[in-house]
Amino acid sequence: MSKDLFSFVGKSLERVDGAVKAEGKALYGDDISFPNMIYAAAVRNPKPRIEIRKMDDSLAKKIKGYFGIVSFKDIKGKNSWPLVMNDYPFLPEKEAKFYGETLALVLAENQRTAKKAAACVRLDYKELPFIDDPLKALEKKSLKIYGKDNIISSFKIIKGDADKAFKDCDVVIEKEFRTNYQVHAYLETQTATAVPEPDGSITVYSSTQCPFYVLDAVAAACGLPNNKVKVIQTVTGGGFGGKEDVPALVAAHAAICALKFNRPVRLAYDRKEDFMSMSKRHPSWARVKYGADKNGKIKACKVKYVLDGGAYATLSPIVLWRGTVHAAGPYKIENVFIETYAAATNKVPCGAYRGFGQPQICFAQESLIDDLAEKLGIDPIDLRLKNMIQSGDKTATGQKIDESCGLKELTEIVRKKSRWDKSEVKINGDKRRALGFSCAYYGVGLGAKGRYLDRAGAFVNIYRDGSVQVNVGNTEMGQGALTVLSQIAAETLNAPMKNIKLAEVDTSKVPDSGPTVASRTTLMSGNAIIEACLPLRENIFSAAAELLKAGKNKITAYGGFFYFGKKKISFEEAVKECWSKRLKMSEQGWYAAPNTTFDINNGQGNAYVIYSYSADIADVEVDIKTGEKTVHKIYAAYDVGRIINPKLAHAQAHGGILQGMGWAIMENLIVKDGIMKNPNFTDYVLPISTDAPQYDISFSEKLYKHGPYKAKGMGEVPLIGVAAAVRNAVKRACGVSLTYCPMISEKTLKTINDKK
Amino acid sequence: MPEIIEKYYSLKELWSSLNKLNKSRKYLAGGTDLTISLSYGEEKTELWIDISDIKELSLIEDRKEFVFIGAGIKVSQLENNPIVKKWVPALAESVKYYASPSIRNTATLGGNYVNASPCADGVLALAASQASVVLNLKNRRRTLPLLSIIKGPKKIDLKKDEIAEGFLVPKIKHEAVFYKMMARKRFGISKAGLCICYRANNKKLEYVSIALSSVAPSIVKAPKTEEFLKNKKIDQNIVKKACEIIKSEISPIDDIRSQAEYRKEIISVFLQRALQKTIG
Repeated sequence: MSKDLFSFVGKSLERVDGAVKAEGKALYGDDISFPNMIYAAAVRNPKPRIEIRKMDDSLAKKIKGYFGIVSFKDIKGKNSWPLVMNDYPFLPEKEAKFYGETLALVLAENQRTAKKAAACVRLDYKELPFIDDPLKALEKKSLKIYGKDNIISSFKIIKGDADKAFKDCDVVIEKEFRTNYQVHAYLETQTATAVPEPDGSITVYSSTQCPFYVLDAVAAACGLPNNKVKVIQTVTGGGFGGKEDVPALVAAHAAICALKFNRPVRLAYDRKEDFMSMSKRHPSWARVKYGADKNGKIKACKVKYVLDGGAYATLSPIVLWRGTVHAAGPYKIENVFIETYAAATNKVPCGAYRGFGQPQICFAQESLIDDLAEKLGIDPIDLRLKNMIQSGDKTATGQKIDESCGLKELTEIVRKKSRWDKSEVKINGDKRRALGFSCAYYGVGLGAKGRYLDRAGAFVNIYRDGSVQVNVGNTEMGQGALTVLSQIAAETLNAPMKNIKLAEVDTSKVPDSGPTVASRTTLMSGNAIIEACLPLRENIFSAAAELLKAGKNKITAYGGFFYFGKKKISFEEAVKECWSKRLKMSEQGWYAAPNTTFDINNGQGNAYVIYSYSADIADVEVDIKTGEKTVHKIYAAYDVGRIINPKLAHAQAHGGILQGMGWAIMENLIVKDGIMKNPNFTDYVLPISTDAPQYDISFSEKLYKHGPYKAKGMGEVPLIGVAAAVRNAVKRACGVSLTYCPMISEKTLKTINDKK
Repeated sequence: MPEIIEKYYSLKELWSSLNKLNKSRKYLAGGTDLTISLSYGEEKTELWIDISDIKELSLIEDRKEFVFIGAGIKVSQLENNPIVKKWVPALAESVKYYASPSIRNTATLGGNYVNASPCADGVLALAASQASVVLNLKNRRRTLPLLSIIKGPKKIDLKKDEIAEGFLVPKIKHEAVFYKMMARKRFGISKAGLCICYRANNKKLEYVSIALSSVAPSIVKAPKTEEFLKNKKIDQNIVKKACEIIKSEISPIDDIRSQAEYRKEIISVFLQRALQKTIG
């Protein structure tokens, strides 16, 4: 299939939701309203860990417009949020486990009054001892706050015999690395509105990546069957993983309130409470060890990787699993030993953030590979090329990579573009400037640990006038899914782009399609759309051929028209013909990912259906007197299979790189003694346009036979390797091997001065 | 927001109206600090008096021995004002580093002052420019040294209902260097800042005034360093000594924005770089 044959796929078409958002017309969660709607505000835990004795709202009752308080006693269903380990109560009963946890909700006629009332609720509690350090939590004698060992989850990968192999290595290197939180900082804070319906059912409007998670939680909290809960995704102002699991909690709270007062209830978080109580990228600690022979053949790898899970499990087990699978890096290594832990602490529960447990361990292992190269006296790119996974090689889990692997090519692209081989450290006064490399792989989709959820549905309905309604179960959150999926539908049906309408998810219209995560939407929903479109395409193409008086295989279809010789008819004419024949013009599509495996005893198996790849070179300048860093340029190359929309793919790359850079050098959430100290954009500093590097983006499209138009997945890939590339550039520039993220100026300067 | 916001357009109107207003009241100028404390639940005043359009507060005047800059001047108005550029170059320079363009268009210089933050960029520039503040309560005016009524973070010794009307900057011919360390390149709060106003003649500092931000409970001057540098011919040795002196006269703290040791080090690096600049 040559790319030129496509009408819509592979083209930089305009975003279908661009204008409505740019013009400010899109309705986000807090823009919609309903008659008699009241507002909820959370009463929050003021300490890291408490025993709840009593909550008294008598003062709040004196406030005009106050409706009342909602506690766990008002939960009609089961007080347990159904999510992975089911350990998180919707509202705590006796014990609250982290600072900022919602204890109760108060309702009032407007948001301001609700907030005021929440501040008036008198809380009688006893402070309990808490634990805030994940490594301490894992110690035998530590205070136990979660199960009998504070371990939320743990995995192992055992391949060959790492300890034995290290003994035969000429060079062995081992270091510890730490990374801090990262906050999603989506523009739209968490928002949900629950509307009780006359028949006892409930409709929930939610700013979410995962409407079906919201459905599960609301049904459980309300004690309603699934068909009595309808979740409609409102236009979602950013997610990045932060709207994967937690919107379900927010929506469940709104629903519990709505049922108690029998009114529509809005629950919209302010920025501070969003910071305090919603999910984050896990802080991490890792000890990594590589061993190689003197020629640079890596023979063994050992990793211990610990995530700070926070007070409840939420998504930690799956985040940890993804990190575990990728922990050795994209290299063919015979002997691997990886052990990983998600430890419980009395802090905000961490969860999904673009990269999902991979960026942390990638930072550690890609930093250490660079240091290994230094120790061996081998160019860091040459060392990687010697060991890099290529088609036919096996990963740490023993999975054979048999197709679609462009990592080597990507490495060569960025090496050439950045003139790596001729680059030197540039000195300008106190400034030192150099290049740093990193590479990464990324298992697309949910993989073996989430395989039961790895399916997606689609509904395609063609109206008589040729306009097309497409419903899917995966969401647009800013990443461009509506556009890319429209392109796939248009291409498959040969319908004009403008005829396709895709909108935010309504759970009553499509089957449970799993979450919108793991860079899986193009792949999963794209394939489901194609499945739904194929029978329709058959009808339309037959009708077109008939109208053109041609054999079915003799016509040409392009850009919404059908051609035979000099004759031409439109998509709409073909559709009209189908309808006049009373053909079925709507279809359900379904796609289930190919099977994946993971042996829990030794971590061996085909962990993911397919991998995407990235290579980054960072051009970084360090001021050795202040520790400041300027990331001048990022050269990045990606293999994510076929690119459906190049312009959007570039946008994904830019966003991912900037987020990766922010995490690497400036974003620094401070939690001291269990209390978050900078829950705001004044003191949690994010990169902005003036910090953005120049982007030099390349793609190498290694086609994936099971992908829609042979695409893989892109969303998370650009973020993963950035921090290590920046760190490796800093090392080359000024000779310090940093082992932490964020590499804030204070710490960098100290490291530089300590070395003197 | 409070239930009531009263707005006045002249000082006369303001002073004649005060008596009939709710006692729990506060002035609103640009509101870029006040509205933030509101959303953090720290600001609970029942009435705000909007003085953002009082005409007497938005003057910039070249007077005999002083330049007068009204407290109600928006920060963005300072950057290209010819009087400011000529006589208060530090202030014009500071605007580049001051918050974001949207905040600069709203925030006022007077607000920056009365908010009494140790990291106030405008106050840093004014302090280095040897400015005084003019306070006004019902047309009774007091002119005081700029930093004399600032008592600590967010603490300022104003009488009830007294306003900052403007600032007087002595007309001394000089140049300025403004350095500010932030967690990112722009739109940030200073971790440490240094502003130096100087006149150099053949590498000799005939005039020197230094102010520092984010290294003490308020914006401070560096009198010992100034004293040391005055009339000295700048060379490497002098720079080195000056850096030692300036480090000895500050005692910054660790907080969520930075660390004491780092702040000290940065002030020293800034002074070194600024002194290099003074001799071209």
